[in-house]
Amino acid sequence: MKMTPSEPLVLDRVSASYGNTEILKDLSLDVRPGELVSLLGSSGCGKTTTLRLVAGFLTPTRGSIRIGERDVSRVPVHKRNIGIVFQNYALLPHLTVRDNVAFGLKQRGVGNTERDRQAMEMLETVGLTGLADRLPSALSNGQKQRVALARALVIRPPLLMFDEPLSNLDAKLRVEMRVHIRALQKANERTAIYVTHDQEEAFAISDRVAIMDAGRIVQLDTPEVLYRRPVNEFVARFVGFENILPMQVVERRGKIVTAALAGGATLELDQGEFGIIPDHFLLACRPEGLRLAAPGNAGVPVTLGMRTYLGRAYQYQCDSDAGPLIAHGAVDKAHPGVGTQAVLSVAPQQCAILPAAKS
Amino acid sequence: MNRKWLPLLLTVPALALILFLLIYPVGDTLAESFLPLDQGWQRYVAFFSEPYNRTVILRTIKIATITTVLSLIFGFIAALFITRCPAKYRTPLLILSVFPLLTGAVVRAFAWMIILGRKGLLNNLLLNLGIVDQPVPMLFTSFSLVTGLVYLFTPLAILSLVGVLDGIEKDVLDASSSLGANPLGVFTQVILPLAVPGLIVGGVLIFTGSLAAFATARLLGGDRQAIMPTQLYEKAMVSFDWNTAGIIATVMVLVTLVAILAMGKLARRFNPATGG
Amino acid sequence: MGRKVHPLLGISAGLVFLFLIAPLVLVLGAAFNDATYLAFPPQSLSLRWFERVLSLQNFMDAFLVSLTVAISATALALLVGIPTSYAIVKHRGSFPSWFSSVFFLPLLVPEIVFGFSLLKTVIVALELPVMTALIAGHTILVLPYAVRVLGASLSNFDFSAEEAAVSLGMHPLKTVLAVVLPNIKAGILAAFILAFITSLNDVSVSLFLTGPGVSTLQVEVLTYVEQYFDPSVAAVSVLLMAITLVVMVVLERSFGLSNVVK
Repeated sequence: MKMTPSEPLVLDRVSASYGNTEILKDLSLDVRPGELVSLLGSSGCGKTTTLRLVAGFLTPTRGSIRIGERDVSRVPVHKRNIGIVFQNYALLPHLTVRDNVAFGLKQRGVGNTERDRQAMEMLETVGLTGLADRLPSALSNGQKQRVALARALVIRPPLLMFDEPLSNLDAKLRVEMRVHIRALQKANERTAIYVTHDQEEAFAISDRVAIMDAGRIVQLDTPEVLYRRPVNEFVARFVGFENILPMQVVERRGKIVTAALAGGATLELDQGEFGIIPDHFLLACRPEGLRLAAPGNAGVPVTLGMRTYLGRAYQYQCDSDAGPLIAHGAVDKAHPGVGTQAVLSVAPQQCAILPAAKS
Repeated sequence: MNRKWLPLLLTVPALALILFLLIYPVGDTLAESFLPLDQGWQRYVAFFSEPYNRTVILRTIKIATITTVLSLIFGFIAALFITRCPAKYRTPLLILSVFPLLTGAVVRAFAWMIILGRKGLLNNLLLNLGIVDQPVPMLFTSFSLVTGLVYLFTPLAILSLVGVLDGIEKDVLDASSSLGANPLGVFTQVILPLAVPGLIVGGVLIFTGSLAAFATARLLGGDRQAIMPTQLYEKAMVSFDWNTAGIIATVMVLVTLVAILAMGKLARRFNPATGG
Repeated sequence: MGRKVHPLLGISAGLVFLFLIAPLVLVLGAAFNDATYLAFPPQSLSLRWFERVLSLQNFMDAFLVSLTVAISATALALLVGIPTSYAIVKHRGSFPSWFSSVFFLPLLVPEIVFGFSLLKTVIVALELPVMTALIAGHTILVLPYAVRVLGASLSNFDFSAEEAAVSLGMHPLKTVLAVVLPNIKAGILAAFILAFITSLNDVSVSLFLTGPGVSTLQVEVLTYVEQYFDPSVAAVSVLLMAITLVVMVVLERSFGLSNVVK
């Protein structure tokens, strides 16, 4: 199969609106050749709009979109040469699996025999050779997903786009398919955009993830960086920092900073690990970063609430002077009941420092 | 009472009506046209050796076919527009489409008599513009008949097609464009094949409808453009020749049957996903 | 589908809608025209053709016949149609797949063949009175419309509500009356209206079944148009359109046209 080189995708200060509502504002994004970037966010954040802009279903009001050297901002959809995998698969219901895969080749004027050969080869890659003559209505969701994938890959587009492709599959298949998608994208060296609202999925599949909110990219980084060092409270909450505590620095000794919580409890943090810590900041802690300890230990004093069993640990709803907190406790001890006074010790390696909310 | 028989029992009254008032009488008409076999055969031979009868049958098929094709084209255009226009225009346009359907065939044929008559609107217009210097006979021609029938059945075509066009997912069209199909390609390779079930349902209803459109045929086709429904009525109620009327009825049923089977076959060729 | 509208599509659709509506507007104009001949636009307006129509005894008689037939046939079709639709929608699995098409046969048999066969085989043989004959014929004619609309309405009904009522101790028969029927009220109304209009507008079947002194309005109007081509027919048409329009507004308000279309 002939290889088209993979190309970079550049969005340069792109804006878009539906009627009078501006959905995207000056959005810029660089995707390197062969890289997979996820657009992650809740519904209405602009991730699907971004995908539709790149695909050509929408026209930007300002800014430009380039694939490689080509400015495609005003190029009609059918000339953009982008392979899209849709959320509901969007298979052509009147065509067989084979003809669905061959559809794009047919539009490109590829001859009958060659079309069939390439379609069958691609079906083999996705493991559906035996189903070539079935109609889409006779396939399971997982099989439809594979056809959609084969159909998008077979035209060798410089850019692949996925619009929440796994959201209609059950949990096990979802994990299986995302490995499959990632493998095919890598093997074919295609640049790819992957839209999802599932944080775990985005982290598992991507080279980099763009977290979006209200039509902007809030943070674009590798999953590893996003997971440990979110830039603000929005990203922190999105990647699982469920506790956000406002803190104030009370003492600085070399790299070690002592900060106090609203309730008065203090905590020592190392600037060698977190970088420069401002006087006022937010401390973001994962539940596993707040460990249950006996009263009298150093930490945040709380009243325990409901307990749920997670397997590796118990999770506690707690009440503190700084508001409700979620903490973990070990499973192997006898456990205090609802209403017991306790202390949460903070594990700094499970925490992140965020700028204080602007007031 | 046996629970298994309950569903069937509920349908018995309707089944009985259909059986006694539709299947039995129509079946009887068909059977009687052939019986007794030797005489039946002679009657058919006599019927078909009359050139006028052959003309009427061929004319009926021709008119019904043209009507079906034109109504479907008009209906397709309107239905496509209805499914694509902004949502707020949808209901008004649907009402506009359905309204003529709900007025009688006589009224609608009458409207075209006003337009196409010797002193009708169109002739007035042509005379005033000096395009012709005496009225063009337009009434009681195949033109007026087809116009009246297409007018009668276009709303039906719209209704049959709005449903299927609505059923085409937007993503499927988007996917086709993204795979490189230009707007014409999307239309011919995706929209049209997916509309086939609606085209078939509409086509069958319009074709059979054309075979039954007595009022339209009488008022806009007249004796000069006699088609099977007018001829059947003539034989049955004016000359009381029920033998011939029975033959005409049988031919009409056969033509309908062939048309339905042919359209079903056509459907599966263009869209293998069409059921049945 | 909700995609962009090509200007060419807009223009041709506009022409189709014009084709659909313009002739009816002409009829409207002719009905209010003072002149004795059919002309458009009308020179001066008057209601004389309406007065004339209302004074024509055979039109009024025929209208009463049509009304009686339409109401009776529709009621009968609903009476047998509701249990039928209920059975074929709820117990889809207990019937062979072709079963429901039996109830759509009247749509596939050319009406004129049906009318003639009914006359020859049932009416003449049983010497049925004209009114009974008309009601019998029209019941068959409107049955498919009733079954189709009721079926669509029942398909949207969640039968687990019925099971829930029975599980709470309600008698199954009472459940049908108290739970199922109220939920398909709109569908029943829509079916009634559609069947009613279909019966009111029929020509081809009635043609064979009318008898001495008893005729339907459409058949009368047809005969009248063939003999006198004057604007009183336009006036009748306008009266019929007015009835239709009122009925359609009720239909849209109560059920939503889009649901009937399916």
